[in-house]
Amino acid sequence: MIETQKLKKTYKQGSLKVKAVDNVNLKISDGEFTAVVGPSGSGKTTLLNCVGGLDIPTSGKVIIDDEVISSYSSDKMIKFRLNNIGFVFQAYNLIPVLTAKENIEMVMLMQGYNKQEMDERSIDLLNEVGMENMSKRRPAELSGGQQQRVAVARALASKPKFILADEPTANLDSKSTAKLLDIMSRLNKQENITFLFSTHDQRVIDRARRVVTLEDGKIIKDIKK
Amino acid sequence: MILKIAWRNIWRNNKRTLISTLSISGALFLVILMRSMQLGFYDNIINTIVQSYSGYVQVHADGYWEKQSVNNSMEVDEQLLNEINSINGIENIAKRLTTFSLVSKGEKSKGSIITGIEVKKEQLMSDWEKKIIEGSSSFDNSNEIILSKGIAEYFDVKMGDTLVLFGQGYQGMMAAGKFVANGIADLNNPKLNEMTIFMDIKSAQEYISSENISTHLIIDKKEYYDEKKIAEDIRNVVSNDYEVMTWKEILPELDQMITADNVGGLIMAFILYVIVCFGMFGTVLMMTEERMYEFGVLLSIGMGKVKLYLIILLETIMLSSIGVIIGILTTRPISIYFNKNPINMDDFGEGLGEAMGEFGFDPIIPFSTNWDIPLSHALFIFCISILISIYPAIRILYLNPVKAMKE
Repeated sequence: MIETQKLKKTYKQGSLKVKAVDNVNLKISDGEFTAVVGPSGSGKTTLLNCVGGLDIPTSGKVIIDDEVISSYSSDKMIKFRLNNIGFVFQAYNLIPVLTAKENIEMVMLMQGYNKQEMDERSIDLLNEVGMENMSKRRPAELSGGQQQRVAVARALASKPKFILADEPTANLDSKSTAKLLDIMSRLNKQENITFLFSTHDQRVIDRARRVVTLEDGKIIKDIKK
Repeated sequence: MILKIAWRNIWRNNKRTLISTLSISGALFLVILMRSMQLGFYDNIINTIVQSYSGYVQVHADGYWEKQSVNNSMEVDEQLLNEINSINGIENIAKRLTTFSLVSKGEKSKGSIITGIEVKKEQLMSDWEKKIIEGSSSFDNSNEIILSKGIAEYFDVKMGDTLVLFGQGYQGMMAAGKFVANGIADLNNPKLNEMTIFMDIKSAQEYISSENISTHLIIDKKEYYDEKKIAEDIRNVVSNDYEVMTWKEILPELDQMITADNVGGLIMAFILYVIVCFGMFGTVLMMTEERMYEFGVLLSIGMGKVKLYLIILLETIMLSSIGVIIGILTTRPISIYFNKNPINMDDFGEGLGEAMGEFGFDPIIPFSTNWDIPLSHALFIFCISILISIYPAIRILYLNPVKAMKE
């Protein structure tokens, strides 16, 4: 379970203090498929970054499975992210010099998998996201939708407890978006992987089973469908 | 995988990689050839003057160097030779007896250095037979001499010609005798070629009327041993009746000339390395700064900072390795060619060779093919690349993934 307690994140912008996340209390249970929505600058990405340990909260706590991760050291946090959290970014962020399969294997390599395990699991994951025929292609040889599917496979490679996806469909056409959401939805149901999205995309909001709305860093609505 | 990532990363921008590696290999090309030429030149001088004539270390009777006379000679017995031979790093020891005499043939006469030698020992030490350009390399009779090339030309000597030697003997005795030319030697040193006459050491002793004396013990060292240390060790085993000198003490001008010239070469190499250093730093700077976003992503997905730094370090090392390999491969055949076919200074203008001869050097520059030269410079380039990678290391150490991805 992911929990935030009185989570605050303040940035300095010149002489101004900007409250990106303001006193957010949120609980996300295992297996949820949640979208965090809100206008630009509402604090969606900052909230996801704090939950994923990429950003350090100004105050408050981030608790995952009873562990207060917001107090972890940088090195401990990197290890925690590697073994527990999968990230999907808006700009896909695959390593350009590696093939689709190698991008997935790299995460497993960091976890200490052996070659055979890496090989088998990366093929399985590529199958899972429908990219088995493009395993040897580099990111530049894939469309945006295909890259994002590989990014999802990479996020799954470490067998994470949950996946944080920051505007995953923002750069995709409707067909690719639908395909990606199908894959994510299936993984959520079949593998019980928790998904937490930040999004503007109505298509994602429609598929989410819970929608948390942020405005000026505060939760103003939390609807479970 | 880390290796694969690093290798592919350096080829992301082919042009930049090529320019960087070519700048490294270009600088290394110049440095290696310049140092091969310099060190080859020094080796040649040391080989012709030190190894084949003065030896790396000399032992004399105390005071001989101050006043070089047969009256300051020494008796060399087996015990002394055994004591010196017991020292680590000594390859050979040869006795010599040197005196000054007037040589004449027909109407002509000339001052010369008479050197009594042990042919077998000289052969081991300086490949004596190779120096003989005419006649015999040994002395079958006690009245036979071998003349250096310059003297032979001066007197227009043919084998079997008789020359008269006249000089000072041991402790006031007169030294005089008729000697037969039995060979001509080229000492590869214009000055020595002008004034040296060799005879068997026994004949020389007989000539100056004193048995069993020598003026020099010439000591050849094994490769890579330090002559200074050997001289120190000899001083520790022999009594104060002897003086021990290294070739640098015997020929200080030569040592100073080599040192001064060498410093010039090193300054030149330093300037080239500064250029290489900036070139490499520029590349690494770009490779780091343009990938901050990617580094942020890698940290986000769980790559440790040490691994991330390792990738950059490997990229820098690979980049420099390519440059180093190209630099070594292109210079090697050139060094070998000019080692076998030394540059002759006479080819660069009339009088250049002669000018060098004035200083006692053979007017040729053979390149050194010693692997120490390319390898030491390759190592230096590696050290530079490791030093340069400190910059990305610092950037990665303080990298915040969120900020990096915003950048």
